[in-house]
Amino acid sequence: MAFVNLQNVTYQYPLTKTPALQNINLQVDEGEFVAVVGPNGAGKSTLCYALAGFVPHFFKGEISGTIEVAGKESSKSTLDEWVLNVGLAFQNPFNQISGAKYTVFEEIAFGLENIGVPREEMKSRVEDAMALTGIRDLADRSPYSLSGGQQQRVALTSILVMRPRLLVLDEPTSQMDPIGTREVFGTIRKMAEDGMTVVLVEHKMEWIAQFADRVVALKDGSILLEGKPGEVLTSDLLAENGFGSSRYTSTAREAKKRGLWRKENLPVTLDEAVEGFALTLPFSSPKGAPRGRGESGK
Amino acid sequence: MHERLSFHIKRDSVIHRLNPLTKLVLILALILIAFTFPWYWAPHFLLLLAIIPLGILGRVFPEFFKTATRLILPAASFLFLMQAFFQPIGEDVIFKFYFLDITQESLMFAFRNAMRVFVMVSAFTLFLLTTHPSELMSDLTRRGLPPQFAYVIISTLQILPQMQAKAQTIIAAQRSRGLDTESTFLKRAGSVLPLVGPLVFGSLVEVEERAIAIEARGFTSKNVKTSLYEIPDPSFDKFIRWSLLGLVILSIAANLWPS
Repeated sequence: MAFVNLQNVTYQYPLTKTPALQNINLQVDEGEFVAVVGPNGAGKSTLCYALAGFVPHFFKGEISGTIEVAGKESSKSTLDEWVLNVGLAFQNPFNQISGAKYTVFEEIAFGLENIGVPREEMKSRVEDAMALTGIRDLADRSPYSLSGGQQQRVALTSILVMRPRLLVLDEPTSQMDPIGTREVFGTIRKMAEDGMTVVLVEHKMEWIAQFADRVVALKDGSILLEGKPGEVLTSDLLAENGFGSSRYTSTAREAKKRGLWRKENLPVTLDEAVEGFALTLPFSSPKGAPRGRGESGK
Repeated sequence: MHERLSFHIKRDSVIHRLNPLTKLVLILALILIAFTFPWYWAPHFLLLLAIIPLGILGRVFPEFFKTATRLILPAASFLFLMQAFFQPIGEDVIFKFYFLDITQESLMFAFRNAMRVFVMVSAFTLFLLTTHPSELMSDLTRRGLPPQFAYVIISTLQILPQMQAKAQTIIAAQRSRGLDTESTFLKRAGSVLPLVGPLVFGSLVEVEERAIAIEARGFTSKNVKTSLYEIPDPSFDKFIRWSLLGLVILSIAANLWPS
Protein backbone atom coordinates (compact mmCIF):
# COMPACT_ATOMS: atom_id res chain seq x y z
CA MET A 1 0.00 0.00 0.00
CA ALA A 2 1.48 3.29 -1.09
CA PHE A 3 2.02 6.05 1.47
CA VAL A 4 0.08 8.53 -0.64
CA ASN A 5 -2.75 7.07 -2.62
CA LEU A 6 -5.11 9.03 -4.86
CA GLN A 7 -7.85 6.96 -6.50
CA ASN A 8 -9.98 8.44 -9.28
CA VAL A 9 -9.92 11.90 -7.74
CA THR A 10 -12.11 14.39 -9.58
CA TYR A 11 -12.66 17.80 -8.07
CA GLN A 12 -14.52 20.92 -9.04
CA TYR A 13 -14.23 24.28 -7.27
CA PRO A 14 -17.51 25.91 -6.28
CA LEU A 15 -18.96 28.23 -8.95
CA THR A 16 -16.83 26.79 -11.74
CA LYS A 17 -17.98 24.79 -14.76
CA THR A 18 -15.04 22.48 -15.42
CA PRO A 19 -13.29 20.22 -12.93
CA ALA A 20 -9.83 21.34 -11.78
CA LEU A 21 -8.76 17.72 -11.31
CA GLN A 22 -10.03 14.88 -13.47
CA ASN A 23 -9.70 11.27 -12.57
CA ILE A 24 -6.31 11.52 -10.89
CA ASN A 25 -4.66 8.26 -9.90
CA LEU A 26 -1.38 8.74 -8.12
CA GLN A 27 0.65 6.63 -5.75
CA VAL A 28 3.71 7.88 -3.89
CA ASP A 29 5.89 5.73 -1.65
CA GLU A 30 7.21 6.84 1.69
CA GLY A 31 10.46 8.80 1.28
CA GLU A 32 9.88 9.34 -2.42
CA PHE A 33 10.49 12.75 -4.00
CA VAL A 34 7.90 13.41 -6.71
CA ALA A 35 7.91 16.54 -8.85
CA VAL A 36 4.77 17.82 -10.55
CA VAL A 37 5.08 19.85 -13.74
CA GLY A 38 2.49 21.41 -16.01
CA PRO A 39 1.42 24.62 -17.74
CA ASN A 40 -0.60 27.30 -15.93
CA GLY A 41 -4.07 26.13 -15.04
CA ALA A 42 -3.15 22.45 -15.26
CA GLY A 43 -4.31 21.83 -11.70
CA LYS A 44 -0.92 21.69 -9.99
CA SER A 45 -1.91 23.91 -7.09
CA THR A 46 -5.26 22.17 -6.76
CA LEU A 47 -3.43 18.86 -6.51
CA CYS A 48 -1.31 20.35 -3.72
CA TYR A 49 -4.40 21.57 -1.90
CA ALA A 50 -6.01 18.16 -2.32
CA LEU A 51 -2.99 16.41 -0.79
CA ALA A 52 -2.83 18.95 2.05
CA GLY A 53 -6.52 18.55 2.85
CA PHE A 54 -7.62 22.05 1.81
CA VAL A 55 -9.52 20.49 -1.06
CA PRO A 56 -12.26 19.84 -0.13
CA HIS A 57 -12.14 20.81 3.57
CA PHE A 58 -11.31 24.47 3.02
CA PHE A 59 -12.48 25.19 -0.52
CA LYS A 60 -15.64 23.07 -0.40
CA GLY A 61 -16.76 22.16 -3.92
CA GLU A 62 -17.51 18.71 -5.30
CA ILE A 63 -15.05 15.87 -4.94
CA SER A 64 -15.18 12.22 -5.84
CA GLY A 65 -12.64 9.45 -5.43
CA THR A 66 -10.43 8.89 -2.39
CA ILE A 67 -7.33 10.63 -1.07
CA GLU A 68 -5.27 8.61 1.40
CA VAL A 69 -2.11 9.63 3.22
CA ALA A 70 -0.43 7.38 5.79
CA GLY A 71 -3.41 5.06 5.76
CA LYS A 72 -5.93 7.78 6.64
CA GLU A 73 -8.61 8.99 4.34
CA SER A 74 -8.98 12.72 3.82
CA SER A 75 -12.77 12.79 3.68
CA LYS A 76 -12.98 10.97 7.02
CA SER A 77 -10.54 13.30 8.71
CA THR A 78 -10.72 16.93 9.81
CA LEU A 79 -8.36 19.58 8.52
CA ASP A 80 -6.71 20.22 11.89
CA GLU A 81 -5.83 16.51 12.22
CA TRP A 82 -4.75 16.28 8.61
CA VAL A 83 -2.18 19.09 8.83
CA LEU A 84 -0.31 17.19 11.55
CA ASN A 85 0.72 14.66 8.88
CA VAL A 86 0.85 16.83 5.80
CA GLY A 87 2.73 20.12 5.55
CA LEU A 88 2.03 22.67 2.82
CA ALA A 89 4.15 25.58 1.66
CA PHE A 90 3.09 27.57 -1.37
CA GLN A 91 4.39 30.14 -3.73
CA ASN A 92 3.66 33.56 -2.33
CA PRO A 93 5.85 33.86 0.75
CA PHE A 94 4.38 37.16 1.90
CA ASN A 95 0.98 35.61 2.56
CA GLN A 96 2.49 32.70 4.43
CA ILE A 97 3.87 34.90 7.14
CA SER A 98 1.42 34.60 9.97
CA GLY A 99 1.52 38.27 10.90
CA ALA A 100 1.20 37.24 14.52
CA LYS A 101 4.92 37.26 15.25
CA TYR A 102 7.61 39.88 15.36
CA THR A 103 10.77 37.85 14.70
CA VAL A 104 11.66 34.97 12.38
CA PHE A 105 12.35 32.74 15.36
CA GLU A 106 8.87 33.36 16.79
CA GLU A 107 7.36 32.99 13.33
CA ILE A 108 8.83 29.52 12.92
CA ALA A 109 7.72 28.56 16.42
CA PHE A 110 4.12 29.64 15.63
CA GLY A 111 3.04 26.25 14.31
CA LEU A 112 4.59 24.42 17.25
CA GLU A 113 2.80 26.72 19.71
CA ASN A 114 -0.46 25.94 17.96
CA ILE A 115 -0.08 22.19 18.25
CA GLY A 116 1.11 22.42 21.85
CA VAL A 117 4.78 21.41 21.71
CA PRO A 118 6.49 22.00 25.12
CA ARG A 119 8.71 25.08 25.31
CA GLU A 120 12.15 23.44 25.53
CA GLU A 121 11.44 21.01 22.71
CA MET A 122 10.03 23.87 20.67
CA LYS A 123 13.22 25.89 20.97
CA SER A 124 15.49 23.04 19.92
CA ARG A 125 13.23 22.11 17.01
CA VAL A 126 13.20 25.69 15.75
CA GLU A 127 17.00 25.87 16.04
CA ASP A 128 17.39 22.60 14.14
CA ALA A 129 15.01 23.60 11.38
CA MET A 130 16.71 26.97 10.92
CA ALA A 131 20.11 25.29 10.71
CA LEU A 132 18.72 22.91 8.10
CA THR A 133 17.53 25.67 5.77
CA GLY A 134 20.41 28.00 6.55
CA ILE A 135 18.48 30.92 8.03
CA ARG A 136 19.99 31.01 11.53
CA ASP A 137 21.31 34.52 10.95
CA LEU A 138 17.76 35.76 10.31
CA ALA A 139 16.41 34.61 13.69
CA ASP A 140 15.95 38.08 15.21
CA ARG A 141 14.84 39.91 12.07
CA SER A 142 11.24 40.87 11.43
CA PRO A 143 9.73 38.47 8.87
CA TYR A 144 8.42 41.48 6.95
CA SER A 145 11.86 43.02 6.53
CA LEU A 146 13.16 40.04 4.54
CA SER A 147 13.57 39.64 0.78
CA GLY A 148 11.21 37.38 -1.15
CA GLY A 149 13.73 34.54 -1.27
CA GLN A 150 14.44 34.80 2.44
CA GLN A 151 10.71 34.85 3.18
CA GLN A 152 10.32 31.69 1.12
CA ARG A 153 12.97 30.02 3.22
CA VAL A 154 11.17 31.12 6.37
CA ALA A 155 7.88 29.75 4.99
CA LEU A 156 9.55 26.43 4.17
CA THR A 157 11.23 26.26 7.57
CA SER A 158 7.95 27.05 9.31
CA ILE A 159 6.49 23.91 7.74
CA LEU A 160 9.57 21.70 8.10
CA VAL A 161 9.72 22.44 11.82
CA MET A 162 6.36 20.73 12.22
CA ARG A 163 7.93 17.51 10.89
CA PRO A 164 5.14 16.45 8.54
CA ARG A 165 5.35 12.98 7.04
CA LEU A 166 4.26 14.31 3.67
CA LEU A 167 5.66 17.64 2.54
CA VAL A 168 3.72 19.40 -0.23
CA LEU A 169 5.52 22.31 -1.86
CA ASP A 170 4.02 24.59 -4.50
CA GLU A 171 6.89 26.41 -6.21
CA PRO A 172 8.83 27.01 -3.02
CA THR A 173 11.82 28.57 -4.77
CA SER A 174 10.09 30.92 -7.23
CA GLN A 175 11.73 34.00 -5.70
CA MET A 176 15.16 32.55 -5.04
CA ASP A 177 18.39 32.98 -6.93
CA PRO A 178 20.07 29.88 -8.46
CA ILE A 179 22.35 29.36 -5.46
CA GLY A 180 19.42 29.56 -3.04
CA THR A 181 17.40 27.20 -5.23
CA ARG A 182 20.20 24.65 -5.26
CA GLU A 183 20.53 24.80 -1.48
CA VAL A 184 16.82 24.41 -0.92
CA PHE A 185 16.58 21.51 -3.36
CA GLY A 186 19.50 19.89 -1.55
CA THR A 187 17.68 20.29 1.75
CA ILE A 188 14.46 18.83 0.36
CA ARG A 189 16.39 15.90 -1.14
CA LYS A 190 17.97 15.25 2.23
CA MET A 191 14.59 15.33 3.96
CA ALA A 192 13.34 12.76 1.45
CA GLU A 193 16.34 10.53 2.11
CA ASP A 194 15.55 10.76 5.82
CA GLY A 195 12.10 9.37 5.09
CA MET A 196 9.94 12.41 4.44
CA THR A 197 7.71 12.04 1.40
CA VAL A 198 7.85 15.06 -0.88
CA VAL A 199 5.50 16.28 -3.59
CA LEU A 200 6.84 19.37 -5.28
CA VAL A 201 5.40 21.61 -7.97
CA GLU A 202 8.18 23.29 -9.88
CA HIS A 203 8.97 24.92 -13.21
CA LYS A 204 12.74 24.65 -12.97
CA MET A 205 13.26 21.48 -15.02
CA GLU A 206 17.02 21.18 -14.54
CA TRP A 207 16.60 21.03 -10.78
CA ILE A 208 13.83 18.47 -11.01
CA ALA A 209 16.01 16.27 -13.19
CA GLN A 210 18.81 16.44 -10.67
CA PHE A 211 16.86 15.93 -7.48
CA ALA A 212 13.46 14.27 -7.99
CA ASP A 213 12.82 10.52 -8.14
CA ARG A 214 9.79 10.77 -10.36
CA VAL A 215 7.95 13.38 -12.43
CA VAL A 216 4.22 13.71 -12.92
CA ALA A 217 3.11 15.88 -15.85
CA LEU A 218 -0.32 17.44 -15.44
CA LYS A 219 -2.40 18.96 -18.18
CA ASP A 220 -5.99 20.23 -17.93
CA GLY A 221 -6.47 18.50 -14.62
CA SER A 222 -5.35 15.04 -15.74
CA ILE A 223 -2.06 13.21 -15.59
CA LEU A 224 -0.54 13.27 -19.06
CA LEU A 225 2.68 11.42 -18.38
CA GLU A 226 4.49 9.99 -15.39
CA GLY A 227 7.92 8.44 -14.95
CA LYS A 228 11.63 9.02 -14.47
CA PRO A 229 12.66 12.70 -14.76
CA GLY A 230 15.07 12.09 -17.63
CA GLU A 231 12.38 10.41 -19.72
CA VAL A 232 9.37 12.56 -18.91
CA LEU A 233 11.08 15.93 -19.14
CA THR A 234 12.56 15.22 -22.55
CA SER A 235 9.54 13.54 -24.10
CA ASP A 236 8.12 15.00 -27.29
CA LEU A 237 4.62 14.59 -25.86
CA LEU A 238 5.39 17.29 -23.29
CA ALA A 239 6.89 19.61 -25.86
CA GLU A 240 3.81 19.22 -28.06
CA ASN A 241 1.50 20.01 -25.17
CA GLY A 242 3.01 23.35 -24.31
CA PHE A 243 5.11 22.31 -21.34
CA GLY A 244 8.24 24.34 -20.89
CA SER A 245 11.50 22.47 -21.16
CA SER A 246 14.97 23.25 -19.89
CA ARG A 247 17.15 25.27 -22.25
CA TYR A 248 19.44 22.26 -22.62
CA THR A 249 16.56 20.09 -23.79
CA SER A 250 15.36 22.69 -26.29
CA THR A 251 18.86 23.27 -27.62
CA ALA A 252 19.49 19.56 -28.09
CA ARG A 253 16.08 19.09 -29.70
CA GLU A 254 16.97 21.70 -32.30
CA ALA A 255 20.43 20.17 -32.71
CA LYS A 256 18.89 16.77 -33.23
CA LYS A 257 16.88 18.09 -36.20
CA ARG A 258 20.15 19.24 -37.77
CA GLY A 259 21.92 16.00 -36.97
CA LEU A 260 24.11 17.49 -34.31
CA TRP A 261 22.77 15.40 -31.44
CA ARG A 262 23.53 11.71 -31.74
CA LYS A 263 22.54 10.33 -28.34
CA GLU A 264 19.15 8.75 -28.07
CA ASN A 265 17.95 10.71 -25.07
CA LEU A 266 17.75 14.47 -24.90
CA PRO A 267 19.49 16.15 -21.96
CA VAL A 268 17.80 18.10 -19.15
CA THR A 269 20.82 19.30 -17.25
CA LEU A 270 24.00 21.09 -18.24
CA ASP A 271 26.16 18.05 -17.54
CA GLU A 272 24.09 15.81 -19.78
CA ALA A 273 24.15 18.41 -22.54
CA VAL A 274 27.91 18.78 -22.34
CA GLU A 275 28.34 15.03 -22.47
CA GLY A 276 26.11 14.71 -25.54
CA PHE A 277 27.48 17.61 -27.51
CA ALA A 278 31.01 16.42 -26.87
CA LEU A 279 30.24 13.48 -29.17
CA THR A 280 29.50 15.69 -32.16
CA LEU A 281 31.26 18.97 -31.80
CA PRO A 282 34.73 18.79 -33.34
CA PHE A 283 36.62 21.05 -30.95
CA SER A 284 36.10 19.02 -27.83
CA SER A 285 36.62 15.44 -26.85
CA PRO A 286 34.46 13.49 -24.42
CA LYS A 287 37.32 13.09 -21.98
CA GLY A 288 38.41 16.70 -21.86
CA ALA A 289 34.89 18.09 -21.99
CA PRO A 290 34.40 21.05 -19.68
CA ARG A 291 32.05 19.99 -16.97
CA GLY A 292 32.03 22.60 -14.25
CA ARG A 293 30.36 25.95 -14.46
CA GLY A 294 32.72 28.71 -15.50
CA GLU A 295 35.77 26.50 -15.40
CA SER A 296 36.90 26.07 -18.97
CA GLY A 297 38.64 22.92 -20.05
CA LYS A 298 41.37 24.60 -22.09
CA MET B 1 8.89 48.95 4.92
CA HIS B 2 10.34 48.23 8.32
CA GLU B 3 7.73 50.32 10.02
CA ARG B 4 5.20 48.67 12.18
CA LEU B 5 2.32 49.87 14.21
CA SER B 6 3.80 49.57 17.64
CA PHE B 7 4.98 52.16 20.11
CA HIS B 8 6.87 49.62 22.16
CA ILE B 9 10.40 50.64 23.09
CA LYS B 10 12.64 47.79 24.06
CA ARG B 11 14.31 48.73 27.32
CA ASP B 12 14.94 47.10 30.61
CA SER B 13 13.07 48.71 33.46
CA VAL B 14 10.91 47.88 36.46
CA ILE B 15 7.84 48.75 34.42
CA HIS B 16 8.93 46.71 31.39
CA ARG B 17 9.41 43.71 33.65
CA LEU B 18 5.93 43.88 35.15
CA ASN B 19 3.49 41.29 33.93
CA PRO B 20 1.47 42.76 31.02
CA LEU B 21 -1.79 42.17 32.85
CA THR B 22 -0.48 44.09 35.87
CA LYS B 23 0.32 47.02 33.62
CA LEU B 24 -3.09 46.84 32.03
CA VAL B 25 -4.75 46.81 35.46
CA LEU B 26 -2.50 49.67 36.55
CA ILE B 27 -3.50 51.99 33.73
CA LEU B 28 -7.18 51.07 33.99
CA ALA B 29 -7.02 51.79 37.71
CA LEU B 30 -5.38 55.17 37.08
CA ILE B 31 -8.08 56.06 34.58
CA LEU B 32 -10.95 54.94 36.79
CA ILE B 33 -9.58 56.83 39.77
CA ALA B 34 -9.05 59.95 37.67
CA PHE B 35 -12.66 59.81 36.59
CA THR B 36 -14.33 58.77 39.83
CA PHE B 37 -12.41 60.12 42.81
CA PRO B 38 -14.55 62.90 44.25
CA TRP B 39 -11.86 65.51 44.68
CA TYR B 40 -11.35 68.24 42.15
CA TRP B 41 -7.58 67.98 41.90
CA ALA B 42 -7.40 64.16 41.71
CA PRO B 43 -6.50 63.90 37.98
CA HIS B 44 -3.92 66.67 38.30
CA PHE B 45 -2.28 64.91 41.19
CA LEU B 46 -2.35 61.56 39.39
CA LEU B 47 -0.50 63.14 36.50
CA LEU B 48 2.20 64.55 38.75
CA LEU B 49 2.46 61.71 41.23
CA ALA B 50 1.72 58.64 39.10
CA ILE B 51 2.00 59.16 35.35
CA ILE B 52 5.22 61.15 35.29
CA PRO B 53 7.04 59.00 37.89
CA LEU B 54 5.91 55.86 36.01
CA GLY B 55 7.34 57.29 32.81
CA ILE B 56 10.66 57.93 34.54
CA LEU B 57 10.67 54.51 36.23
CA GLY B 58 9.91 52.88 32.88
CA ARG B 59 12.83 54.81 31.31
CA VAL B 60 10.58 56.08 28.53
CA PHE B 61 10.09 59.65 29.76
CA PRO B 62 11.64 61.38 26.71
CA GLU B 63 9.39 59.45 24.34
CA PHE B 64 6.41 59.94 26.59
CA PHE B 65 7.09 63.66 26.82
CA LYS B 66 7.25 63.90 23.05
CA THR B 67 3.92 62.13 22.58
CA ALA B 68 2.35 64.09 25.40
CA THR B 69 3.30 67.52 24.07
CA ARG B 70 2.72 66.83 20.40
CA LEU B 71 -0.37 64.68 20.52
CA ILE B 72 -2.13 64.57 23.85
CA LEU B 73 -1.68 68.22 24.85
CA PRO B 74 -3.23 69.68 21.66
CA ALA B 75 -6.16 67.27 21.88
CA ALA B 76 -6.75 68.00 25.55
CA SER B 77 -6.44 71.75 24.91
CA PHE B 78 -9.05 71.56 22.20
CA LEU B 79 -11.36 69.69 24.53
CA PHE B 80 -10.70 72.30 27.20
CA LEU B 81 -11.65 75.19 24.92
CA MET B 82 -14.76 73.47 23.65
CA GLN B 83 -16.05 72.68 27.08
CA ALA B 84 -15.09 76.06 28.52
CA PHE B 85 -17.07 77.86 25.82
CA PHE B 86 -20.02 75.62 25.40
CA GLN B 87 -20.75 74.29 28.87
CA PRO B 88 -23.87 76.24 29.88
CA ILE B 89 -23.18 76.34 33.60
CA GLY B 90 -22.47 79.15 36.04
CA GLU B 91 -23.44 82.82 36.12
CA ASP B 92 -20.18 84.56 36.75
CA VAL B 93 -18.97 85.46 33.23
CA ILE B 94 -15.27 86.17 33.20
CA PHE B 95 -14.59 86.26 29.47
CA LYS B 96 -16.73 87.12 26.46
CA PHE B 97 -16.10 86.43 22.81
CA TYR B 98 -19.02 87.61 20.63
CA PHE B 99 -21.88 85.37 21.75
CA LEU B 100 -19.65 82.86 23.57
CA ASP B 101 -18.85 83.32 27.19
CA ILE B 102 -16.75 81.56 29.74
CA THR B 103 -17.86 81.37 33.33
CA GLN B 104 -15.86 80.53 36.41
CA GLU B 105 -17.69 77.19 36.64
CA SER B 106 -17.36 76.16 33.02
CA LEU B 107 -13.67 76.96 33.19
CA MET B 108 -13.16 74.73 36.20
CA PHE B 109 -15.31 72.01 34.67
CA ALA B 110 -13.38 72.09 31.41
CA PHE B 111 -10.04 72.08 33.15
CA ARG B 112 -10.87 68.96 35.12
CA ASN B 113 -12.30 67.09 32.11
CA ALA B 114 -9.36 67.96 29.91
CA MET B 115 -7.07 66.75 32.68
CA ARG B 116 -8.97 63.49 33.00
CA VAL B 117 -8.63 62.86 29.30
CA PHE B 118 -4.97 63.82 29.50
CA VAL B 119 -4.42 61.26 32.26
CA MET B 120 -6.32 58.60 30.34
CA VAL B 121 -4.42 58.98 27.08
CA SER B 122 -1.10 59.36 28.91
CA ALA B 123 -1.68 56.16 30.83
CA PHE B 124 -2.40 54.29 27.61
CA THR B 125 0.68 55.80 25.99
CA LEU B 126 2.84 54.61 28.86
CA PHE B 127 1.32 51.18 28.56
CA LEU B 128 2.01 50.98 24.82
CA LEU B 129 5.54 52.28 25.26
CA THR B 130 6.50 49.66 27.84
CA THR B 131 4.52 46.60 26.70
CA HIS B 132 5.27 44.45 23.68
CA PRO B 133 1.97 43.64 21.95
CA SER B 134 2.80 39.97 21.45
CA GLU B 135 3.78 39.66 25.11
CA LEU B 136 0.44 41.12 26.15
CA MET B 137 -1.45 38.85 23.80
CA SER B 138 0.31 35.65 24.75
CA ASP B 139 -0.21 36.45 28.43
CA LEU B 140 -3.89 37.12 27.86
CA THR B 141 -4.24 34.00 25.70
CA ARG B 142 -2.72 31.97 28.52
CA ARG B 143 -5.37 33.43 30.80
CA GLY B 144 -8.17 32.35 28.49
CA LEU B 145 -8.49 35.02 25.80
CA PRO B 146 -9.44 33.22 22.53
CA PRO B 147 -6.30 32.90 20.35
CA GLN B 148 -8.32 34.01 17.32
CA PHE B 149 -8.95 37.33 19.03
CA ALA B 150 -5.28 37.77 19.90
CA TYR B 151 -4.36 36.88 16.32
CA VAL B 152 -6.67 39.51 14.87
CA ILE B 153 -5.19 42.23 17.08
CA ILE B 154 -1.54 41.39 16.46
CA SER B 155 -1.81 40.67 12.76
CA THR B 156 -3.73 43.89 12.20
CA LEU B 157 -0.96 45.85 13.89
CA GLN B 158 1.56 44.19 11.60
CA ILE B 159 -0.35 44.06 8.36
CA LEU B 160 -1.65 47.64 8.27
CA PRO B 161 1.77 49.14 7.49
CA GLN B 162 2.18 46.47 4.80
CA MET B 163 -1.14 47.45 3.25
CA GLN B 164 -0.08 51.07 3.35
CA ALA B 165 3.03 50.18 1.40
CA LYS B 166 0.93 48.23 -1.06
CA ALA B 167 -1.42 51.19 -1.52
CA GLN B 168 1.60 53.30 -2.39
CA THR B 169 2.66 50.74 -4.99
CA ILE B 170 -0.80 50.70 -6.54
CA ILE B 171 -0.90 54.50 -6.67
CA ALA B 172 2.50 54.56 -8.36
CA ALA B 173 1.44 51.85 -10.82
CA GLN B 174 -1.81 53.58 -11.76
CA ARG B 175 -0.14 56.96 -12.10
CA SER B 176 2.45 55.50 -14.42
CA ARG B 177 -0.48 54.47 -16.62
CA GLY B 178 -1.75 58.02 -16.64
CA LEU B 179 -4.23 58.05 -13.79
CA ASP B 180 -4.82 61.59 -12.62
CA THR B 181 -4.20 61.85 -8.88
CA GLU B 182 -3.28 65.49 -8.44
CA SER B 183 -5.51 67.85 -10.44
CA THR B 184 -9.05 69.03 -9.71
CA PHE B 185 -11.10 67.53 -6.92
CA LEU B 186 -13.59 65.85 -9.26
CA LYS B 187 -10.89 64.19 -11.32
CA ARG B 188 -9.16 62.96 -8.19
CA ALA B 189 -12.45 61.63 -6.84
CA GLY B 190 -12.82 59.67 -10.07
CA SER B 191 -9.41 58.17 -9.47
CA VAL B 192 -10.40 56.59 -6.19
CA LEU B 193 -11.98 53.50 -7.70
CA PRO B 194 -8.96 52.29 -9.71
CA LEU B 195 -6.87 52.74 -6.58
CA VAL B 196 -9.15 51.19 -4.00
CA GLY B 197 -10.35 48.34 -6.22
CA PRO B 198 -7.04 46.51 -6.54
CA LEU B 199 -6.26 47.12 -2.88
CA VAL B 200 -9.53 45.66 -1.64
CA PHE B 201 -9.70 42.72 -4.03
CA GLY B 202 -6.01 41.99 -3.59
CA SER B 203 -6.49 41.96 0.16
CA LEU B 204 -9.40 39.55 -0.10
CA VAL B 205 -7.27 37.09 -2.06
CA GLU B 206 -4.52 37.54 0.48
CA VAL B 207 -6.86 36.78 3.33
CA GLU B 208 -7.68 33.43 1.76
CA GLU B 209 -4.03 32.52 1.31
CA ARG B 210 -3.15 33.65 4.80
CA ALA B 211 -5.98 31.56 6.20
CA ILE B 212 -4.58 28.53 4.39
CA ALA B 213 -1.09 29.29 5.64
CA ILE B 214 -2.01 29.52 9.30
CA GLU B 215 -4.37 26.59 9.01
CA ALA B 216 -1.47 24.55 7.59
CA ARG B 217 0.42 25.44 10.73
CA GLY B 218 -2.18 24.01 13.04
CA PHE B 219 -3.94 27.24 14.02
CA THR B 220 -7.25 25.47 14.58
CA SER B 221 -5.66 22.49 16.29
CA LYS B 222 -7.61 21.33 19.31
CA ASN B 223 -4.42 20.68 21.27
CA VAL B 224 -3.70 22.95 24.22
CA LYS B 225 -1.48 25.69 22.86
CA THR B 226 1.93 26.40 24.30
CA SER B 227 3.97 29.57 24.20
CA LEU B 228 7.56 30.13 23.12
CA TYR B 229 8.17 32.64 25.86
CA GLU B 230 7.39 32.29 29.48
CA ILE B 231 5.86 35.49 30.79
CA PRO B 232 6.59 35.67 34.51
CA ASP B 233 3.77 36.51 36.88
CA PRO B 234 5.29 36.65 40.37
CA SER B 235 3.18 37.03 43.50
CA PHE B 236 4.34 40.66 43.72
CA ASP B 237 2.39 41.33 40.51
CA LYS B 238 -0.70 39.68 41.92
CA PHE B 239 -0.36 41.77 45.07
CA ILE B 240 -0.19 44.97 42.99
CA ARG B 241 -3.23 43.97 40.99
CA TRP B 242 -5.37 43.27 44.03
CA SER B 243 -4.23 46.49 45.73
CA LEU B 244 -5.12 48.49 42.64
CA LEU B 245 -8.51 46.85 42.50
CA GLY B 246 -9.00 47.82 46.15
CA LEU B 247 -8.09 51.44 45.38
CA VAL B 248 -10.51 51.56 42.46
CA ILE B 249 -13.32 50.21 44.65
CA LEU B 250 -12.53 52.80 47.31
CA SER B 251 -12.53 55.57 44.73
CA ILE B 252 -15.87 54.51 43.30
CA ALA B 253 -17.34 54.07 46.76
CA ALA B 254 -16.18 57.55 47.74
CA ASN B 255 -17.81 58.88 44.60
CA LEU B 256 -21.13 57.21 45.36
CA TRP B 257 -21.10 58.02 49.09
CA PRO B 258 -23.97 60.39 49.86
CA SER B 259 -22.32 63.41 51.35
